[in-house]
Amino acid sequence: MKLSYRLRLLIVLISLGVLTGGGLLLKHLLLPDSFGVYGPYRANAIAEAALVPIRHGTNASCFKCHAYEAGIHKTGRHQTISCEFCHGTYMDHVENGRKIGTLPVKREKQITTLCLRCHNTEIKARSELVIKTVAMPNHLADQNVKLTHNCNQCHHVHAPLKYIIRAKQMTRWTEAGR
Amino acid sequence: MKILDPSPKMNRRSFVKNVLNGTIAGSLYLVWPMGGDSLEIPEQIPGIRDTAYDIHNQAFVFIVDITRCIGCGSCCVADKREYNVPDGNYRTWVERYVKGFSDQIYVDCPNGGLDGYQHPRTDIDEDIRDTFFVPKLCNMCREAPCVQVCPVGATFISPDGFVLVDEKRCVGCAYCIQACPYSVRFLNPVTRVVEKCTWCYHRVRKGLLPACVEVCPTGARKFGSMRDDTSEVYNILKGPGVLTVLKKEMGTWPALYYKGARREVV
Amino acid sequence: MDAVNGTATMLISNYVFPNDLHVHWSMMIVLYPYITGLVDGAFIIAALYYLFDIKSLKPLARFSLLFALAFLCCATLPLLLHLGRPERNLNMLLTPSPSSAMAGFGYIYAVSMGVLVFIVLFVYRPDLVVLRDTSKGLLKLLYRAITFDSRDLSTYSLALDRKIIRFLVGIGIPIAAVLHGYVGFIFGGVKAIPTWSTPLMPVIFLFSACLSGISAIILAYIVIRKITGRSIDSDCIKTCIKTLTLFFILAFAFEMLEVFSHSYLKSGYHHMVEGLLNGPLASSFWLWQVKICSVIPLVILGVMAFFRMGRAMYHFWAAVVSAILLLQVLIMRWNVVIGGQLMSKSARGYTEFHPQWFDKEGILAVIIVMAIPFMILFVLSRIFPFWTPDNETTVT
Repeated sequence: MKLSYRLRLLIVLISLGVLTGGGLLLKHLLLPDSFGVYGPYRANAIAEAALVPIRHGTNASCFKCHAYEAGIHKTGRHQTISCEFCHGTYMDHVENGRKIGTLPVKREKQITTLCLRCHNTEIKARSELVIKTVAMPNHLADQNVKLTHNCNQCHHVHAPLKYIIRAKQMTRWTEAGR
Repeated sequence: MKILDPSPKMNRRSFVKNVLNGTIAGSLYLVWPMGGDSLEIPEQIPGIRDTAYDIHNQAFVFIVDITRCIGCGSCCVADKREYNVPDGNYRTWVERYVKGFSDQIYVDCPNGGLDGYQHPRTDIDEDIRDTFFVPKLCNMCREAPCVQVCPVGATFISPDGFVLVDEKRCVGCAYCIQACPYSVRFLNPVTRVVEKCTWCYHRVRKGLLPACVEVCPTGARKFGSMRDDTSEVYNILKGPGVLTVLKKEMGTWPALYYKGARREVV
Repeated sequence: MDAVNGTATMLISNYVFPNDLHVHWSMMIVLYPYITGLVDGAFIIAALYYLFDIKSLKPLARFSLLFALAFLCCATLPLLLHLGRPERNLNMLLTPSPSSAMAGFGYIYAVSMGVLVFIVLFVYRPDLVVLRDTSKGLLKLLYRAITFDSRDLSTYSLALDRKIIRFLVGIGIPIAAVLHGYVGFIFGGVKAIPTWSTPLMPVIFLFSACLSGISAIILAYIVIRKITGRSIDSDCIKTCIKTLTLFFILAFAFEMLEVFSHSYLKSGYHHMVEGLLNGPLASSFWLWQVKICSVIPLVILGVMAFFRMGRAMYHFWAAVVSAILLLQVLIMRWNVVIGGQLMSKSARGYTEFHPQWFDKEGILAVIIVMAIPFMILFVLSRIFPFWTPDNETTVT
C-alpha cells in the first residue's frame, strides 16, 4: 500500500477514536439491569436484599403451636425473652408449616450458665431498674438450698416467679413474717 | 401470597423498558415471596404490610439505650444465627466499658460478646467508677463514607435510608472497610464480598423487627418507623431526652442514636 | 475523643474493634503504589529529556520509557491479587461510581498506558524501521505493525514524530502526576484513618514516586551497563542524582512535615498516631524509614553534591544511594498502608500484621509480582534496543 506517513497516522488516530467509542458503547450495553434508577447502583439489589428469607421468627410464631408454654411464658417476668435465644431459630424448626427439626432444650448446669448471662450481679453494669441480679453462690446460701442446685429447681425458666409465688401462697409465708 | 407495590418505584418508562427487556422478572416485584411462613407472623412494624411501600417516604430509626443493656449478648447470638456470620466476623457486637476513678477507660469485647459476659474483669487495679455495655451495629450514616468510596456502586444508600451491599456487584476491594469509621464491615471469607449489618432489611420489609431488637430482653435496642406516631422511637425522638451519635466529628450523620452514651464511647 | 485528661498511653488501653483485627489491605496494596511510583519516576526522566531538552539524560531517556512501560504493565497485578472477587474487576470500568476516589483508576490507567505505548512507538520508530529490514518471520510482522507499516524516515516525518513525542510527553506528565497523586488520594480520602486523611498524602506520594522511579532507573542503568560490560555516562548519572536529590528533599520534607503537624496540632486522633509511630511502627518508621533510609542517603547525597570524587566512586555511591532510596520508598509505602490499618478505629489499640509466605498476598506472591516487570523488560529489550550506539562514545 502506498499511503503517506501522515495518512497512516490519521488512520491510527481514527481507529483509536473508534476503539474508545466502541468501548464506551460496550460499557453502556453491559450496564447491569436497573442500574442508575435511584443512583449509581443496581436498584434491584434493594429488592434482593428485601427478599432474603428470614431465619428468626418472633415469639408469636412459636406460640402458634406451643400454646401451653405460651400460657406460662406470656404471664411471667420472662415474657420479654425471645424463645429463639434459648432454643434456636424458627427456621431450623419449621419450614412451610411443617416441623423439620428439633430444637435443643437447655438442661441442668447449662440452665444456670444461661441464667447468669443476664442475672449475675458480679457484672456491675446491670441496673436494678432493668434486671434483678443475684450473686452466686450467695443466693443459694441465702435461700437455704443446696449449693449444687440449678436455677430451674426453684424458678420456672419461662416464668421465674411462678413457683415462688405459689409456694408463698400455699404456706402463707410472707416477707414480713420472716 | 400478597401482592405488593412493584417498587423500586421506577419512572414509568424505565420500568416498562426493563419489563420489555425481561430484566425484571414480573414475579420479583409483583408478587412478594415472603420466605418461609413470615406472613403468618403478626406484623411488628405497623404500616409495612397493609399499604404499598413507598420507598421514598420512609424514615426508620434505631435507638440503642445503653442504660438498659445488660450485656447478655442475645443480640449477638441472634445476629450470627440470622445470617450465619462466619466466626471471627461481627455484624453487631457488645462492648464492655469499665471506667476507673483515674478516668482510665478499659474496654473489652471477647468474641464480640457472643458468649455474654459471665465474669467481671480481674485485670483492673483501681476502683471502678462506672461500668456499662455498648452494643454496636451499622450506624446507617446519611453521609456514608463507605458508600462514597465504593468504586463500583456495590454499596449504596437506598431511598428508604438503609446502607446496603449489593453482593452481586461487590469486587471485594475492602475500600469501604477502610472508610467505615465504626468498623462494622468485614470481608466474608466464604462469599469473598463485603458484608455488614443491614438493620435486618429483609425483616423490616416483611414488617418484622430486626433480629437483635426482637431478642433483646430489656428493650435496650429499639427500632421503629418515624412515620408511625405510636412507635417507641417516634416518642423518644419527639421527647426531650438526650440522644447522641458515635463519632459525630466524622461528619457521617448516623441514623443510629444512643441513649445514655458516656462521652468516652467511640 | 478528647485528649484533655490524659496522655496517649492513658487513652490507649489496648482495645481493638472485633472487625479490626484483620488487616485487609496487605502487601499487595503496598506494592501497588510502589509500582505506579516506579512508573511515574521513570517517566519523569524521559520527560526531562524529551520535553525539557535536558541533553545529558539522553542515554537514559529511551531506557526509562521502557522501564516505565514494563512496570505499568504490572500495575494492576497486585490489585487483582488483592480483590476478593478478581473475576469482577471489570465492574470498575463498567459501573464506576462518580463519588469514589478509586473508581477512576481503570480509566486513568488505560489512558496512561495508551500514551506511554505511543510515546515508545514514536521514540523508537527510526530504529524499528531499520530493525524491520533486518528481522524476519513473526518479529518482522510485529515491527511492521508497530511502525504502522511505514518506512518513511524523511526529515519531514521525523520532525512530525518529534512534535508528536513532545505533545504526548506533554500530556503524559499531568497524566503520570494524576495517576500517582491520585493513588495517594485513595489513601488521603479515607477520613476514618488518621494517618491517611491528610491533603499532604497525594503530594507525598507523588514526590516519593518520583524518588523511587529515578532511583530505580539509576540503579538499573548502572547495574545493567556493568553486567553487560558497557560504559557508564557520567554526565547522565550526575543529572539524575541532582534530580533525585531535589525530589528526595521534597519527599522527605513533606513526610516529616506530616508527622510534625500531627504532633504539633495534637488534634483528634493524635494520640493514636503518636502511639503508632512510637509503638508498632517504632522500628520500621523511625529506625528504617527515617534514620537508615533517609538520613544516611541525605548525607551521601550531600557528600556527592559538595565534594569532588572519582567517576567510579561517584557511580558506586550513586548506585548505593539509589538502592537505599528504593528501600526507603518501599518502607514508606509499608508504613502508610499497613501502619494506617494497625490503628483500630476504636482509637484505643493496635492490631498486628504478620506477613505470610504462601498467601495470595504473601511474600512469595510479592516476589513474583516484582519479578514479572523485569521479565517484561527483558522481552521488551529484544524488541526495542535499550541503548543507542552513540552511548558508547564515553569510555570509563
